[in-house]
Amino acid sequence: MINVKNAHYGQVDHKVENIFEGKGIIILPSQQAWQKFSWTRKHFQKKPKEGYFIWVKKQPVFPLTTCITIASKKISQHLNNLLVIEKNIKAKANVVCNAAADNLCGLHQAQGKLILKDKASLEYNHFHQWGKKDLVNPDYQFILGKGSRLVYNYKNLAPPKNLQLKTSIYNNENASANLKFVINGLNSKINLKDTLFLKGKNSQGIVNLRLVGRQNSQIEAISEIFASAAAKGHLDCQGLLVSQDSVISLIPKLVCQNKKAQLTHEASIGKISEEELNYLRSRGLSEKEAINLIITGFLEIE
Amino acid sequence: MFLEIKNLKVKGNGQEILKGINLKIKKGECQALLGPNASGKSTLAQVIAGSPKYRVSQGKIIFRDKGITKLPPEKRTKLGIALSWQNPPAIKGVRLEKLLGKISNRKIENKKLDLDDNLLDRQVNLDFSGGEKKISELFQILSLNPQLVILDEIDSGLDIKRLEKFARLIKKELIDKKVALLLITHSGTILRFLKPQLTNVMLDGKIVCREKNYRKVLQVIKKYGYDKCKKCPLWAS
Repeated sequence: MINVKNAHYGQVDHKVENIFEGKGIIILPSQQAWQKFSWTRKHFQKKPKEGYFIWVKKQPVFPLTTCITIASKKISQHLNNLLVIEKNIKAKANVVCNAAADNLCGLHQAQGKLILKDKASLEYNHFHQWGKKDLVNPDYQFILGKGSRLVYNYKNLAPPKNLQLKTSIYNNENASANLKFVINGLNSKINLKDTLFLKGKNSQGIVNLRLVGRQNSQIEAISEIFASAAAKGHLDCQGLLVSQDSVISLIPKLVCQNKKAQLTHEASIGKISEEELNYLRSRGLSEKEAINLIITGFLEIE
Repeated sequence: MFLEIKNLKVKGNGQEILKGINLKIKKGECQALLGPNASGKSTLAQVIAGSPKYRVSQGKIIFRDKGITKLPPEKRTKLGIALSWQNPPAIKGVRLEKLLGKISNRKIENKKLDLDDNLLDRQVNLDFSGGEKKISELFQILSLNPQLVILDEIDSGLDIKRLEKFARLIKKELIDKKVALLLITHSGTILRFLKPQLTNVMLDGKIVCREKNYRKVLQVIKKYGYDKCKKCPLWAS
């Protein structure tokens, strides 16, 4: 389990708790990176106050981990994160952002830029776990160089009161992106916007959304692909509405600006099947246990 | 009496499907229930197991001296009733091994049923062949360690070799261990292997025949079809 103590970059509230650098991997607070490496300034856009800078220059032999926690009441985090993977390097990152308690009323605002240089590869596992009263607003950009590969898994099983999640992916020539968002809506308002720009020839991307509307949740997901080159893209948006007092709206959008591009989508919102529920209950599971198992399966959480 | 069903009338989608069923099964007894398609066999199985899909308008189900007519399905399962579904639904994203981990009351060796790791690793009933579904159902049922088992068309979709193997296993793991059994079958193929003590025939929501000699029933049905049962002297009282 990743926490602030064992992560390569650990931050609690506004304080950097620890940094462990590996061979060929530079990890700094964003402010220091702004000072030390002038080239980072164009990526940060403005001088960062907090957040991390990770520069993977050599092939890592372990997954990179970061953990940013809100542990005190009414904390407002404004993070600027920058992750750069150099050419031909294959990396994996496990990233946790969370609240240490359920009632901290925190604000977690994060602007992130992840750059994969040519033929680099990144598996980025992004876990969120928040308190009931938190406001969370991440805005991430992924820039994929030629022939690079991104696997991005976002998982949020304990949502905040309000989640505004924005993700943009820019695929250059032969780059591929595979994104999956798994969100369990519970007493929360969730706005999700993901946009995949297929800019390069033979680039491709798949976006999977798995959204569950449990008690008192409003979820709106706008999922877009823009193709300006001969590229392939697919959106797979699925919602499961569990509670009568919840709403899910899915808006898939495909914009094709190249006649050789191929874009497809599928979107559906369903309810828990009575037959499946009854089947599991006939195996001795209570109604609640059966619903939880069906949701777990829908979200494909092992 | 282990299981007793008294004058059971059941509605589904506003229509009466079961029209006064009476059935008694003793502890450790093996009974068969034969009938044509849509005669109400699977509905009876589902109602005994407690499916909320159906409404009992009249009658009672008593299991081990306890009225269970209004009990939810999971409580009936806890009491020892287990149903092997004819057409079990797929549970997407849930591996069979995970489901077994949640429901098992006893460990069953995989090799008993030719249950390979590949099947355990697959999502429950998703793209399972007919035979794989039956293996999965029987494995789950045995894992529940039940006292009364209803096998709904366990013999359909199985080749004769596998059917024989299933029958041997059912005999060893259920009949020999004095687990009561209700074998629901359209074709009656499995009866030759399991030799039920009593065979019931159901037509249009009613049990119309009860006969100790299952061969006799199978012969009549094979020769004349189920219509003959309506006029048969073995007519149930």
